[in-house]
Amino acid sequence: MASQRKNSRGESLLLRYAILGAWALFCLAPVLWFLSIGLRPRTEIITPQPIYWPSFSLDAWHMIWEDWPMAKYLRNSVAAIFGSVIIDLVLAIPAAYSLARYTYRGRDDIGFYILSTRMMAPAIVAIPIFFLFRNVGLLDTVWALMLVYAAINLSFVTWIIRSYMLDIPKELEDAARTDGAGDLRILWEIIIPAILPGIITASVIAMIFAINEFLFTLLIASTPKAYTMSVALANFTGGSDGLIYNAIALVAFLAFVPVFLVVVAIQKHLSRGLTMGAVKG
Amino acid sequence: MSKSSLSDTGATMVAPGAPTHQRARRRSKRLKAWFPYLLVAPAVLYLMLITLYPGVYAVIQSFHQVKFGPWQPVGLANYARLFQDHQFWGAIWNTLVIGSFSLVLQCVLALAVAFYAYRDPWVKGWRIIFLVPMLFMPSAVAFIYKLSFLDARVFADLLMRVGLIDGNIAYQSSIWMSRGILILADVWQWTPFLFIIFVAALQGQDEEVEEAARLDGASWYAIFWNISLPMMKPVIAVALILRAIDITTMFTNVFIITKGGPAFGTETISYFIYRTGFKFFDFGYASSASVVMLVITVIVAQLVVKRAFISARS
Repeated sequence: MASQRKNSRGESLLLRYAILGAWALFCLAPVLWFLSIGLRPRTEIITPQPIYWPSFSLDAWHMIWEDWPMAKYLRNSVAAIFGSVIIDLVLAIPAAYSLARYTYRGRDDIGFYILSTRMMAPAIVAIPIFFLFRNVGLLDTVWALMLVYAAINLSFVTWIIRSYMLDIPKELEDAARTDGAGDLRILWEIIIPAILPGIITASVIAMIFAINEFLFTLLIASTPKAYTMSVALANFTGGSDGLIYNAIALVAFLAFVPVFLVVVAIQKHLSRGLTMGAVKG
Repeated sequence: MSKSSLSDTGATMVAPGAPTHQRARRRSKRLKAWFPYLLVAPAVLYLMLITLYPGVYAVIQSFHQVKFGPWQPVGLANYARLFQDHQFWGAIWNTLVIGSFSLVLQCVLALAVAFYAYRDPWVKGWRIIFLVPMLFMPSAVAFIYKLSFLDARVFADLLMRVGLIDGNIAYQSSIWMSRGILILADVWQWTPFLFIIFVAALQGQDEEVEEAARLDGASWYAIFWNISLPMMKPVIAVALILRAIDITTMFTNVFIITKGGPAFGTETISYFIYRTGFKFFDFGYASSASVVMLVITVIVAQLVVKRAFISARS
């Protein structure tokens, strides 16, 4: 009833659904078409006339597991991503606690410095970081990717967690403090359980950015030894035959499905996470 | 001297009661003052390793000729060359053109879609559908657009079927059409980012104010323009800044779809640095471009980003 009354003035439902429907089509049509690419034989991809109703084939599925070390790329991705998220949490939780709960000289400048690292263009720091990893012998390893992903996401993770910490009423801590609990114990036993949704949101967003990362991975993983899914995609070529699009499409969906499920699960917190806590969704 | 001081400490250590206590308390107080710094230090040090260290490294390297062999100091030669390099200025121009078209389009579309979606009873469902493009890896999205525009020519074929064009479109020979593909790919993937944030801001606004305005006879458009939009300004600013950062560092789409062509018309700053450094191995020269970008980044961060984030919080 309420929604009916709301629509009584100024706007027709028809226009609203026309616009929302058109946008949904714009979002989904390329995705469905790309899915159809992943499930068709290679001969029906690049043709003089595009084929809209291809024959079904699992060629690409067999190809990605048999012709390429797909399992290894997956393992690399998972190791680098989870490792980086763990590094981020270990560094970000104390830092966020410090920024949210103490007043001291230089606090706001430190906070802004952490935030501003988000602005660094990967291309600016790519060359020095490339040489840094080469000099310490970490080039072309999953360890290097892990360290870089952690660095890219640290500002995001810190600010998201800080925003959630600011929401916890101080009384909760004061009560524990009068019971004689120290600062670290309060952080561990009271704050962290209370901001668990924030920690999960931050981890999910860090995970997405790590999966997406392309430029650093391209430079650091110079051979297939340390390829992740994101960069492996760009190397699905059959030499003179050009790009193998059905394999590319299938790998894209392989990475998409878990990300989609996780994001739907934390949907409520997403807007807050994406703005580093500036919007309380 | 040393003897007496030794005995001094000995005395305090042996002396029971008040003095020891005070000293211990003073020490714990000093520790307390340092404690917040200790908590934040590991994160700051880690970030310095990937910002300060590369920054200094790039500055030093930019004063050298680094090509295969050992570093040769060349003074300001790299910068002199950079400021006369048409490709460098072209890359800045391309980044600004592609970035601003893309950003304005995304913002307008996201606001429009959010305006229609946030009052809808199925807003949760719409949100999930509209989120989908954002959750693909950018390299995968780049291939979607490369394939549908260039390799399989689906887009041209569809236009032909509806009779809008006859014959094919030669995107690759047109700078503006190539830029258009990059803009479209970015708009498709990242409008959802802004949409999610805008919907949350619209849903979070005070319903009573809305209700009151509506009872006074204001239309939904008037409410949106006069109440919602001004209220959303700080949020819009933060969201656009985050988007602008990622757009101006655009690399993946350029690398996969256009390779900077035709005639360097789609070469962004990131691709310029990548090409001079990792294709021509002219690292000193590439570093001078990095340093210039770094200076611009720091200035923009201080002037714009700081203000926007502070006003979004208060």
